[in-house]
Amino acid sequence: MNLSTRSPGSAGSGISPIWVVAAGLAIIFGGLLIGSFAPAILPPQASAESRQIDALFRFMLAIGGSIFLLVQGMLVYSVIRFRAKPGDASDGAPIHGNTTLEFVWTIIPAIIVTVLALYSVSVWNSTHSIKPNEQTVGAVGARYAWTFNYQLDARALPSGVTLDQLEPNIRAAVENGGLTLSSTQLHTWVNQPVAVSMNTQDVNHAFWIPGMRVKQDLLAGRTTEIRFTPIEAGVYRIVCAELCGSGHGNMAGSVDVNGNLVGAWLIVHESEDAFRSEFFDPLARAALFPPEDPVERGRQILASGVYPCASCHVVDDLGWNGAVGPNLNNVGSRAATRVAGESAEEYLRISIRMPGAYLVPGYNNLMPQFNAEPGQPNYMPDDDLDAIIAYLLTLKTS
Amino acid sequence: MATISVPLIGGRAVEGKRFGISDILRWTVDHKVIGIQYMLTASFFFIVGGALAMLIRWELLTPTLDIMADGQQYNQLFSIHGTVMIFLWIVPMMAGFGNYLLPLMLGAKDMAFPWLNAFAFWLIPPAGILMLMGWFVGQAEAGWTSYPPLSTLYSLDGQTLWAMSLHLLGLSSILGAVNFIVTIKNMRPVGMGYFQMPLFVWAILATSIIILMATPFLAGALTLLILDRVVGTQFFNPAQGGDVLLWQNVFWFYSHPAVYIMVLPAFGILSEVLSVHARKPIFGYRAIALSSLAIALVGFTVWAHHMFTSLTPELRIPFMITSMIIAVPTGIKVFSWLGTLFMGKIRFTSAMLFGLGFLSMFVIGGISGVMLASVPYNIHVHDTYFVVSHLHFVLYGGSVFGIYAGLYHWFPKISGRMLDERLGRLHFIVTYISFFFTFFPQHILGMSGMPRRVAVYAPEYQSLNVVVSIASFILGISTFILIWNVIVSLRAGKRASANPWRALTLEWATSSPPPVTNFIGDPVPYRNPYGYGSESANAYLNALESAYGPSEHPSPDAPKAIKPAPAAGD
Ligand code: HEC
Ligand SMILES: [Cu+2]
Repeated sequence: MNLSTRSPGSAGSGISPIWVVAAGLAIIFGGLLIGSFAPAILPPQASAESRQIDALFRFMLAIGGSIFLLVQGMLVYSVIRFRAKPGDASDGAPIHGNTTLEFVWTIIPAIIVTVLALYSVSVWNSTHSIKPNEQTVGAVGARYAWTFNYQLDARALPSGVTLDQLEPNIRAAVENGGLTLSSTQLHTWVNQPVAVSMNTQDVNHAFWIPGMRVKQDLLAGRTTEIRFTPIEAGVYRIVCAELCGSGHGNMAGSVDVNGNLVGAWLIVHESEDAFRSEFFDPLARAALFPPEDPVERGRQILASGVYPCASCHVVDDLGWNGAVGPNLNNVGSRAATRVAGESAEEYLRISIRMPGAYLVPGYNNLMPQFNAEPGQPNYMPDDDLDAIIAYLLTLKTS
Repeated sequence: MATISVPLIGGRAVEGKRFGISDILRWTVDHKVIGIQYMLTASFFFIVGGALAMLIRWELLTPTLDIMADGQQYNQLFSIHGTVMIFLWIVPMMAGFGNYLLPLMLGAKDMAFPWLNAFAFWLIPPAGILMLMGWFVGQAEAGWTSYPPLSTLYSLDGQTLWAMSLHLLGLSSILGAVNFIVTIKNMRPVGMGYFQMPLFVWAILATSIIILMATPFLAGALTLLILDRVVGTQFFNPAQGGDVLLWQNVFWFYSHPAVYIMVLPAFGILSEVLSVHARKPIFGYRAIALSSLAIALVGFTVWAHHMFTSLTPELRIPFMITSMIIAVPTGIKVFSWLGTLFMGKIRFTSAMLFGLGFLSMFVIGGISGVMLASVPYNIHVHDTYFVVSHLHFVLYGGSVFGIYAGLYHWFPKISGRMLDERLGRLHFIVTYISFFFTFFPQHILGMSGMPRRVAVYAPEYQSLNVVVSIASFILGISTFILIWNVIVSLRAGKRASANPWRALTLEWATSSPPPVTNFIGDPVPYRNPYGYGSESANAYLNALESAYGPSEHPSPDAPKAIKPAPAAGD
């Protein structure tokens, strides 16, 4: 019976309990140490949600870190301790299993995942629940830009503005449901719960603010919601996280060469007053008292970001730096000569209403068509178009 | 004392011949040739998919567009990279191992349905060609997940070819699975009950059950997609009453189980490799065997964890719970493998190194998987590089390392030649380190805010991306060490005896390579495929050595004066 294939006494069986306890402690402290790296990896905590989610992650990282150390430790230990010595052709110990051990390593992971599941449920319930006094904002995703819509009704008029100062048609709009103010940026203020309700004009997108730790897909044909409460003033990049086509990577906030924010950013103001005075009131005033001058109105419309031109075109005056379409810096001087027989004004109108009609040499037919009828995708009323054209015609460089 | 049964020996006159290129290109019903055909085809697509990955990483060296003309071209790259690696590399490669090994491990002469087997294989080359043809008509650009409406209303014709190609591959996979299940059920040798089967056979059984239950759903989804694209139906178009979530649900109902289709066979390979090269019985045989079945079943209830940011919020928690449960059987396997190593006599063969590498890297993918199951955390990292990292730890650190371990382990059986162990160790070290630095930093990229599937990214992520790209280039090059090793060893490698690793499973009880009929007569399996360390196992292995020539590590008490095995084909 005594074959050279066995030497159980020589291997492993005599590990002292002190070492086992020491290794166990090392693994647990190691896990806690690994867990403590969590804040260094995640973006700074800037929302109420991020505090809870980061704590959850840190907990998981500590447990995961311990398991990692346990497994790698066992592996390295076995590899060193139980390596076959040169010339030793014998077999290892004929151990086929151990019911107690197997029970233990079934039950302990089961307990761990139960704890994780319960913890996750509690974090989830608190982070996605509806909060009192939410600021509601609408978001529209379109390839490849974001638009945020704010409601301006009679209760939200800028200070010093009363209903009877308004033009009758604007006053009527404010009283019947309100005006929609648009921006490429999402503005709010510290400690204000925000609820964003989202629609897409084309494919699915996903709205993600890493600094807030929240993400939700925009689904064609549905309205989806996302909520968060910022706790630190600052600017936070908004990112599209669901593949939406060729410009998917551009569908995120960026910074231009001059350090200006371009595209989709979350701006968290210090206070509601700051939000109103720095962002909302000027936007509201502009909408309530539209400039008489169509050029100025056109500039205002384009600057507001209601239309997603910035992601494709360069206009220095507006800080646009999109690279998909032609540079529009002096479109005013060349529009008249683009197509024989079309006036500059007529050419620009066609360029926007039917971009496919005349392609600028060297560019593909990638520009969306902006339609005149409400209800059509990319709706652009004639009023807006006229003003935009008036403004574009002034874009001339010497 | 148990009786020692040695398979009938003596048929070496008709011993296996080496296969030439012409055999590989021919229609044949020999499961061994078909297995090799699968492996070679899959390896070709591994190189294609790898080349695409290199282009992706090259593009990502800088935050702006460099080598790609536009985002669309980039999207086509990673769409085909993902699809090829999954459907034309890992899945058929595993089918190749299954085909080659299953009848041998069962002591059978072939699969249950040899003709069907060949047919299933020959669906793959046309499918692969169809997929690559997409580049002539506007390649698919909606990712391997191809969510509508991007894949229906906004993609070019390559998307249709993509769907047709997957249809063929799905069919191939279903036919293969039927064949495996019937073979396992009916062709086990006398004396081999289900619980005497090698764990690789268990893994193939569990995988085949998944394929049979899940793949028809992929076929259904693809059919709707093709109809929407070609016939003008509106299944996925909300403007006409369709629903974009329909695709996501049905697609993941297949594609989550597909993860197990790719990883369970690797688990099976790992069980064989660890036990043989640690010279120790597998620890907790039944737990490993049954946990595969548990994973197969629970795997059908977790699909929507891929949809935590699109699924109705109320449904997220139930899917989180099932996804956490599935960690338990996976954990059981990992601990059982560690138990197998404990008190073994570990030999650092190349196969074993990749087995150990598998264990240590797969664990990282397992841990990040449990993190991803947690809804609140998933919401933050979904569709980011964290997920890219996780899936590569599972599918590269797991499946591909498993494939490598299996190649080093069974290459001698398949080819009759040993692979060069020095090159093998070099391959392992370079692959292991560059793998880690390619994928580990991606966790950090994702958590700190970099989404996946973008060609342009915020400049603050560049430094880590450069690290990742450089590591990935080394990883890409490391593959050629293996290819070189295979070429050199095929020409001039050391002749392999029947059982170079002194393994107990039946595929080693016949010459390397095996004769056309696999065995001469009906072999009798040793009663426990993992009975290492017992007197009777030792005697059985010694008997094999004296009949077929010495192993790489001959037992000291094996009969002396044995001649080397006559070389195959000489
Ligand atoms: C998806 C990218 C994209 C968006 C968004 C976009 N454009 Fe364009 N635009 C293009 C491309 C590409 C061209 C050149 C091809 C063509 O002529 O249609 C172009 C051409 C033009 C031209 C003609 C320029 C010339 O040099 O003749 C004008 C004017 C124009 N766009 C204005 C706009 C305005 C105003 C908006 C917003 C309401 C807008 N574009 C939105 C991509 C875009
Ligand atoms: Cu998008």
